[in-house]
Amino acid sequence: MSRRQLVWLAAALAAAAAIAAAILVRVGAGELTVELGGEDYELLAPRFLAVAAITPLLFWGLTLSLADLPRAQRWLAAVLRATLVACLALALARPARTTDATVVSTVFLVDVSESVTAESLEAARARVQSAWDARGDNDVQLVTFGGSARLVPLDSDLASIPELRRADEAEDTDDGGAATNLQAALQLAYGLFPPGHLRRAVVLSDGGQTEGDLLAEASRAAELGVTLHAAPYTDGAPREVAVTRLEIPERVRVGEPFSVRAHVFSTAATEARVRLYQGETLNGLDGVRDVELAAGDNEIALRSVVRVAGPVTYALSVEPEGPDRFEANNRFSTTVVVPGRPTVLYVEGTPGRASYLASALTAGDFEVDVRSPRAIPTTLAELERFDFFILSDVAADEVSLTQRDVIERYVRDLGGGFLMAGGENSFGLGGWQGTRIERMLPVRMDSERRRDQPSLAIALVIDKSGSMNGQKMELAKDAAIATAEMLGAEDYISVVGFDSQPTRVVRMQSAANRIRIVRDIGRLTARGGTAIFPALDMAYQDLVVTRARIKHVILLTDGQTQESGIPELVQAMRAEGITVSTVGLGGDVNRALLQQAASLGGGRSYFTQDPHNIPRIFMRETSTVTRNNVVEEYFQPRLSEPADFLRGVDVASAPYLHGYVATRARPSPAQVTLVSDLGEPILARWRVGLGWSLAWTSDVKNRWAVEWLRWPGYSRFWAQLVREHMRHRRRQTLDMTAEVRDSEVRVVVDAIDANDEFLNGLTSTVHIEGPMGGRGDAPIDEDHALSQTAPGRYEARIPLERFGSFVLTADHQRDGRTVAESRAQLVNPYPREYMTLEPDVVLLTRAAEVTGGVMNPTDARLFDPGDERIEHREELWPKVLFVALLLFVLDLLLRRVRLFDRKFKA
Amino acid sequence: MELAGLSLSEVLTVLGGFAAAVVVLYLLKLRRRQVEVPFVHLWQQVLAEKQTTRLFSALKRILSLLVALLVVAALAFATGDPRYAGATDEGRTTVVLIDASASMQATDVAPSRLDAARERVAPLVAAMASADRMLVAQMDASTVPLSPLTSEPRLVEDGLERLRPTDVAADLGRGLRFSLDVLAGQPRPRVVIVSDGVLGPTGRVAERAREAGVEIDWIPIGEGGRNVAITAFSVRRYPLDKSRSEVLVELFNPTDEDASVELELSGDGEPIDVQRLRVGAGERLRRFFQNVTGADRTLEAHVAMADGAPDAQPADDRAYARLPERRRARVLAVSGGNLYLSAALLLDEYLDVTEVAPADYPPPGEFDVTIFDGWVPPSPPGTDAIYLAPVPAEGVEGPFVIRGEIERPFFDRVDRDHPIVQFTALRDVNIAASLDVELQDGDRVVAGDTGAPLLVTGSRSGRRLIALLFDVRRSDLPLRVAWPLLLINSIDHFVQEDARYLSSYETGETWYVPAPGDVTEATLVTPSGEERLVPVVDGRAVCTGLEAGFYTLRAGETEEVFAANLGPSDEAILEPAEALELAGEPAGEPEIGAASVRTEIWTWLVLLALAVIGVEWFTYHRRISV
Repeated sequence: MSRRQLVWLAAALAAAAAIAAAILVRVGAGELTVELGGEDYELLAPRFLAVAAITPLLFWGLTLSLADLPRAQRWLAAVLRATLVACLALALARPARTTDATVVSTVFLVDVSESVTAESLEAARARVQSAWDARGDNDVQLVTFGGSARLVPLDSDLASIPELRRADEAEDTDDGGAATNLQAALQLAYGLFPPGHLRRAVVLSDGGQTEGDLLAEASRAAELGVTLHAAPYTDGAPREVAVTRLEIPERVRVGEPFSVRAHVFSTAATEARVRLYQGETLNGLDGVRDVELAAGDNEIALRSVVRVAGPVTYALSVEPEGPDRFEANNRFSTTVVVPGRPTVLYVEGTPGRASYLASALTAGDFEVDVRSPRAIPTTLAELERFDFFILSDVAADEVSLTQRDVIERYVRDLGGGFLMAGGENSFGLGGWQGTRIERMLPVRMDSERRRDQPSLAIALVIDKSGSMNGQKMELAKDAAIATAEMLGAEDYISVVGFDSQPTRVVRMQSAANRIRIVRDIGRLTARGGTAIFPALDMAYQDLVVTRARIKHVILLTDGQTQESGIPELVQAMRAEGITVSTVGLGGDVNRALLQQAASLGGGRSYFTQDPHNIPRIFMRETSTVTRNNVVEEYFQPRLSEPADFLRGVDVASAPYLHGYVATRARPSPAQVTLVSDLGEPILARWRVGLGWSLAWTSDVKNRWAVEWLRWPGYSRFWAQLVREHMRHRRRQTLDMTAEVRDSEVRVVVDAIDANDEFLNGLTSTVHIEGPMGGRGDAPIDEDHALSQTAPGRYEARIPLERFGSFVLTADHQRDGRTVAESRAQLVNPYPREYMTLEPDVVLLTRAAEVTGGVMNPTDARLFDPGDERIEHREELWPKVLFVALLLFVLDLLLRRVRLFDRKFKA
Repeated sequence: MELAGLSLSEVLTVLGGFAAAVVVLYLLKLRRRQVEVPFVHLWQQVLAEKQTTRLFSALKRILSLLVALLVVAALAFATGDPRYAGATDEGRTTVVLIDASASMQATDVAPSRLDAARERVAPLVAAMASADRMLVAQMDASTVPLSPLTSEPRLVEDGLERLRPTDVAADLGRGLRFSLDVLAGQPRPRVVIVSDGVLGPTGRVAERAREAGVEIDWIPIGEGGRNVAITAFSVRRYPLDKSRSEVLVELFNPTDEDASVELELSGDGEPIDVQRLRVGAGERLRRFFQNVTGADRTLEAHVAMADGAPDAQPADDRAYARLPERRRARVLAVSGGNLYLSAALLLDEYLDVTEVAPADYPPPGEFDVTIFDGWVPPSPPGTDAIYLAPVPAEGVEGPFVIRGEIERPFFDRVDRDHPIVQFTALRDVNIAASLDVELQDGDRVVAGDTGAPLLVTGSRSGRRLIALLFDVRRSDLPLRVAWPLLLINSIDHFVQEDARYLSSYETGETWYVPAPGDVTEATLVTPSGEERLVPVVDGRAVCTGLEAGFYTLRAGETEEVFAANLGPSDEAILEPAEALELAGEPAGEPEIGAASVRTEIWTWLVLLALAVIGVEWFTYHRRISV
């Protein structure tokens, strides 16, 4: 190689390096894009342009040339060869042009879920076939879907679309066909459109969707440039009968009949047999019925009654005559929680006679807890367990002040029901007059005096020895004063105080002289020893000379005394028609003597450690001895004012009662329902706070009500009375709703209190249980936390893939204590797929409209781009290669044909 | 081998054409130039030597022709874009699910987790073998493919560019379901999840994926950083006194360190309250703002670190709420005197109540709702109406035909879904008697006894009605809170106020936004100003959104603003998960081989042609070839 050639080589290499460097620098600076004629051109692999850097070497090659060509032709060949190399470099750099395309890609989304008929599937296949045949340069793809979507590959040389099979019949799916997810199918389609194609999707479906939401997806489809057309299946649903709803009243109580309303949809008029199950057995009242179903919705009412409290699941099954596509939707179950049997606390003064009312209430579906007066609850929490409280024939002194307070709060604050039943120790006879319990009752105990009232002379013999000093003495005086005040004007009273000697504190006189009597009693002072006999004798002397039909002595003492003479004296008094009762105060009394005296004197003996009981004992004793409140005569109670709880009870046919305690009705709003022949209240009621208070002035056992015990209406009367007035709710109940959406239960609790305030900061838990009614082998029994999402709003989401009826109970706590509860039932009867009974054309129409699509598009419409264009990047390297081929041929031509200097002569 | 460009016949045609041209050209003999020599015998020997090299020349000529044909063939086949046939049936099929949830906006890795995700996916795309196919999808509340399932890496890379952050929680279950749909029947299926690992439960779908033999891999993203988030923000008007509202704000500090923050509450764009709060490590701190009166339309909460430095997740520092707009309802009460009614109507200050006696009906003026208390007008009213014990006078046609009376009915059946009975407790209401009426088609029993309706809705003469079929004065209903609530709910029902109104929707959920019933489409304007058409069905626009903020729904002449926030989720937790367990197995790490040269055969053919052309140029000029 000559020196000149080496110089040229160096120059060529330098030029090549410069070209390569320039290209690489330019490429590194950013995109290589140019706009020509309104179109963008770019290089997708611009680094390959550097290959063109070899072109200077081609020119250097000329310096070595031995070719027998004219110089000009050699240079022309070099230029052509350099162009060819540049062309190939350009092809390697992948030039591309961004242009508008009008080719359409259409994805058919064919619903193959279970609700689709074979006819619809065949029509869908024909529709796709038609588009396939008419597609031309356009692209057609096929997706089938039920709960999930599946691409059906279509080879370009395919002649006919393969047969479509329902998802539940296809062998290559594992999710069955009991679901339809239009949204998932459309989302899959997004990934199928080839670049540079206008995007079309055609939904062939009945529009019934069980998951996802096509409408929400439609606007996204529009954003992504997908035009959605729809072609609803017009063959309609197959012949179908389905139970769509089962309604049970909100308030179901044990023993109360009610109607279960079933809604059955039928696509055509048909006959069917319906069976209603309560739990796992046929409903007793109305278990099987043959019905004629009209096309459309049918309501069927069946009677039922719940005998046992707790969750009760009703299931309705339908057996239609003739064809029926889905069996799963022929059964629908729902659960109602029936409150537990109401509990009644029955406190009976004579427990041996409690069985009559207890049996009657038990027969009326009540839990009855019979107790003696000693077992009356002393705390509100204990009494809160009961729904109704009956206090029968119990004297006031057997009920402590604390217990009375609890009873009142139970009625007033907790809404409990309370009934005082009559008897010898009840109402006024039991010393209830003037107590807070009397104030709570709808009757007063100071009854009108009756004409045949016997006059009474009573002598109070009160121990005023030194041991009585202080509170005992004061309470004894209170008792004496109360006794005097209880007596009528025609009654007589004397008070004898005694220590070692008797003193006439009040001479025998008319009780009308109340002021003087009270003043004299106030003078009693305690001092000295204890000598009963002289005092008792003084009382005897006073009574003997007094004219009265009833003569009675009440002896109060707190100490020991000599027994001698007292029994004889009492016997003598008894012989004169004078009765004696004794009251022993404290632990030092001679109990045997006092009991003997009372026994011989035809009276009663009382012993108490608490001096506070003295006034009650005196009052009770006075009431007993006067018996001015007792009416012992046969009568038939008359209905004074109708009451709902007497529905079905024929009071007019009720047998006679043998007596009652006379009372006076309080003014309105107290209601007197039953009255005696004298118009005095037998049954009265009124509201006290949140609860009811009732008075039954006769008794509930085999004395005055002995004939009623044999009356067929006895049990019903008491059961309905108690049920009407018992407490219905124990805690605040907060609204809770539960619904199933996309295999998820959404629970919402609205916590708003009675003062219009939101309940915030509760710790709430919801318990879900089911499916109820024994269906399924793995029932759910779970707790889930509710979280607060807004003032007074708590929410939880619970996955649910089971079908049937479920019971939800929520417990709302504050500081570890339950403050409210919620209860809801949830029905998820069967897959929603089986609820699709008619095509949802509205859904498909709206979804199509929002994307600019139409219903039932023709093939022409389907592949018509209209004014729509899509940007398409067309790669130009194949065209550049064509150019290169042409250049190569030209290059050869230049070697084979002498173009210049044809007449050249050397 | 198959051709992706021209078909084989086209390629052969091109080849045949150009090859023929080349052969023809080689048949041509270059006209030799004439050289005059002084004495021809001097060249005899030269010519004799030429005779001896003729065979060699012929061979050289054929070789040159073959070289030219090789170039033509290489270029002609290159135009056919030949591919390995194995690309469609032997390669790996991969679905890349890129988490685009709110937590992926965190800036703990610069510039953001989403950008980091793109970078981590790029090697995966670069390493695609020619037989591999890949689809990249954005996984947020739903899963949307960003590219087709393709063996073309460029399309996948284009898809990555379309990835956008959202204010939603990612739903991996849906992502996996989508992946299974795509991968069904595909060879060597694989799902690659690109996420920080804060993902919700997947349900059974992960097991299905494992059972189907789908390989599940995970590319973790994120490093963790400090963050205090607003995880709940809502406002409700009090049910009775709707002029006042209560606001709940919940702050969540998911980190291990206590944080001091400043919480600002704005109403209608104006600050209402600013509080400095300390949120303990891992604490969810709730604040209730009671009796809020400073806002009529919108509320916004903003939390910022007290030291002024930004936290690593700006997406959860703001939350939005919309108060239901209040407008005064003009109520006409036609009553002979009912203190219970008057008292109940006094409870809502947004009611303009006009009371008239039946004799003075109709009074002048326009009203939204008329309440007829125990009286029925002689002609149908011109407003929506609430009837209380609608017993018409003789000769007057009432809204119901009355058959008689029912004694002591109870509210046994209550349609709890109906807005007029919300928050009411009716079960124990004692009623002396109610009307036994004949219902008309379209009437709906909202509440009633087992045998008879007590509360009915319907329409007469084109006007809606709500009827309470008993005299409230003959019941203890007026003594209960349920009475004013029932009345106010009924009036609200007519004037389109819903106490169950939600102050914000959850992003990513399907929203059913009230819209005028006579339109079929509405326009939804997103917080970033984009507009899109949404369908309206049964008076509700069905739509969804992925951005938190205020949206506007335009339907007909009306325009409604509503808010959307990220719903309850763990998106505030920035600490990346240590492992992603799916169906009891941890997701693996994807194998990424060395980035392969994209084996596009045509490029090799062109390079071959280039090399031949280059070499041939020199051989020609050195007369080695012709």
